[in-house]
Amino acid sequence: MAEFWQQVVTGLATGSVYGLLALAIVLIYRSTTVLNFAQGEMAMFTTFAAWSILQWGEYWVMFPLVLVMAAGLGAFIERVIIRPVEGAPVLNIIIVTLGLFAIFNNIATWRWGGIPKGFPTPPEIHVTGIKFFGEGALDIGPTVVSYHDLTIMVFAVGIMLALYLFFQYTPLGLAMRATAQNPIASRLMGIRVGRMLTVGWALSATVGAVAGLLIAPLILLQPPMMMGVLLYAFAAAVLGGLDSPVGAVVGGLIIGIAENLVGTYTPKEWLGPDMKLTVTLLIIVLVLLVRPTGIFGRRALRRV
Amino acid sequence: MRRLGPPRTSRLVGFAVLAFVLLWWVPFSHVVPEAFPLRFGGYRTFQASEIAMWAIVALGLNILTGYNGQISLGHGAFVAIGGYTAAILMVDHGWPFWTTIIAGGAIAGTVGLLIGVPALRLTGPYLAIATLGLALATPQILKKYDGLTHGTQGINVRPEVPPPPEFIKDWFGIHLSNDEWIYFLALFIVVIMTILALNIVRSRIGRAFVAIRDSEIAAQAMGISVPRYKTMAFAISAFYAGIAGGTYVQVVGYVSPESFNFLLSINFLTTIVVGGLASILGSILGAAGLVMVPELPGLVSFIPGAGLPDELSWAFYGAALILVMIFAPYGLAGLFHRLVKLRPAMVLKSLSSTYSRWVDALRSPPASPGQTGTEPEARSSQEHPDAKK
Repeated sequence: MAEFWQQVVTGLATGSVYGLLALAIVLIYRSTTVLNFAQGEMAMFTTFAAWSILQWGEYWVMFPLVLVMAAGLGAFIERVIIRPVEGAPVLNIIIVTLGLFAIFNNIATWRWGGIPKGFPTPPEIHVTGIKFFGEGALDIGPTVVSYHDLTIMVFAVGIMLALYLFFQYTPLGLAMRATAQNPIASRLMGIRVGRMLTVGWALSATVGAVAGLLIAPLILLQPPMMMGVLLYAFAAAVLGGLDSPVGAVVGGLIIGIAENLVGTYTPKEWLGPDMKLTVTLLIIVLVLLVRPTGIFGRRALRRV
Repeated sequence: MRRLGPPRTSRLVGFAVLAFVLLWWVPFSHVVPEAFPLRFGGYRTFQASEIAMWAIVALGLNILTGYNGQISLGHGAFVAIGGYTAAILMVDHGWPFWTTIIAGGAIAGTVGLLIGVPALRLTGPYLAIATLGLALATPQILKKYDGLTHGTQGINVRPEVPPPPEFIKDWFGIHLSNDEWIYFLALFIVVIMTILALNIVRSRIGRAFVAIRDSEIAAQAMGISVPRYKTMAFAISAFYAGIAGGTYVQVVGYVSPESFNFLLSINFLTTIVVGGLASILGSILGAAGLVMVPELPGLVSFIPGAGLPDELSWAFYGAALILVMIFAPYGLAGLFHRLVKLRPAMVLKSLSSTYSRWVDALRSPPASPGQTGTEPEARSSQEHPDAKK
């Protein structure tokens, strides 16, 4: 049983990262129905920028700096590259994000090289005698949790809480929800819809950047590092329902846990760890066949 | 995606130009090499064969996505099925090469039919991601069940690929190299598949596909069986991908699990959107773009200052994608049809209006954000009163 819980806890940690990136994808999808394939590469890019800053700065100096940079990057992309194709068919916009994918990936390889780099976990902080972040592991009941896994979960929960409060209790959050629901009515009510979309991209890039910073210590910093994460994040977003932020996070956690359990408990000869991705995807497709718009997604209503 | 097909004359011009370039370039450059400074070397011939085989996939995917409106990000899987079928039959069972290509298409088509049935439940991005899962799982499955697939080392088909047959030398008096023979083989297949596609999309079946894409409910009301035609579109397009897989085996001479990773599948979608959705000519132009655009920085590098560093060719490709989408939203085929009806003043006007629209878009908020039209159901569902967050 100890091994089971161990796998669940590890799955929760990686699942939180999938969930964060899925959240970033959902933030853009809700307001524009565009799947952003560049989401992972944007996060990879900002993580490389973070690595460059770390060459001369402290972790906690770098952190806010990178978040601001990511927000700027997201806003810039929306304003300069996405805005001109705003009215085009969705597939066209998806191709534009694939173009961004190629650009970010290539520039990162060219600028920082393809050799994997180590990336630090956040240094430890003591608040009223309790240790946060840093190295080592913690005994919780039957399992051992590494501090980095805990860090990931703390950040994930923190961001989700912050986003919830932002969307629910601030005027800007309300305006953004309104834009996502009905852009035309929102404009008539005096909301600057274009600006809301820019803010949405900025927010999404920031959430993605945090996911990048958190996963980098586990999988090493290298240009293709976010590809796998992005695919899991897409799966998570689809599993939870593409228009539901809660669904994205829950989907991420389910996938994180399912992936670990499939790798541990299926027969090694014909499934096992080599096939965990395949089996996880199969489970997702089966869920989708029962609920075609994800677990939390609203059913598409048809107007004739 | 506005009309059923491009105007007839410009399409004819397009295919005539394509046919000229594809058919005559190689033999002419062979017979009168001094007239062709850019004579195809072995590598260029290989690239031309590559264009031909990706064009086959693009034709099939365009029938599914462009004409029928189902997005697939998993066509690499069908290419893998076709390729592996052909390779296994050639190497392990000694079948003649042309039967293996047909067998590859048949088996991929059957699998496509089986996958088309559950795909009926899913729409839009959900289908796209589910099929992306198929593309992701393919290399893993190929590696795991190595009794059949030879595992990670792949299958080397090169020794089994036939040399140019004698009759070409006897009839035309041309010595073809192996590469050139394979190129003509691929060209032959792509021509047949193009004619087939042209006929499919202009037949009753093709019109049913388009009707379903534009409105499932209206199509149903007209008496079209939506499930039947949607699975048929999946099967046809998987069949195309399987044929392309069989061609891949002849062209590349080698299959391995990593030949069919998910980026390949994503590239196919890019190909048809950049080439032009719901356009046969566009599928072929898109395949040419897929192979040749990353080469462009290298081709212009003899102009001083014009060359990009080689390492940035992918970024160049990405930038080209974005520019095509901004300035030619109907893809290369749309651009081509505009050029054929060339009236310089009109072209300048439309270019300048596109440019000024772009500048306007940068300056002001969009006219109707998100009203993209592809997903009317999704939009109306978001107007639901109890929609939260």
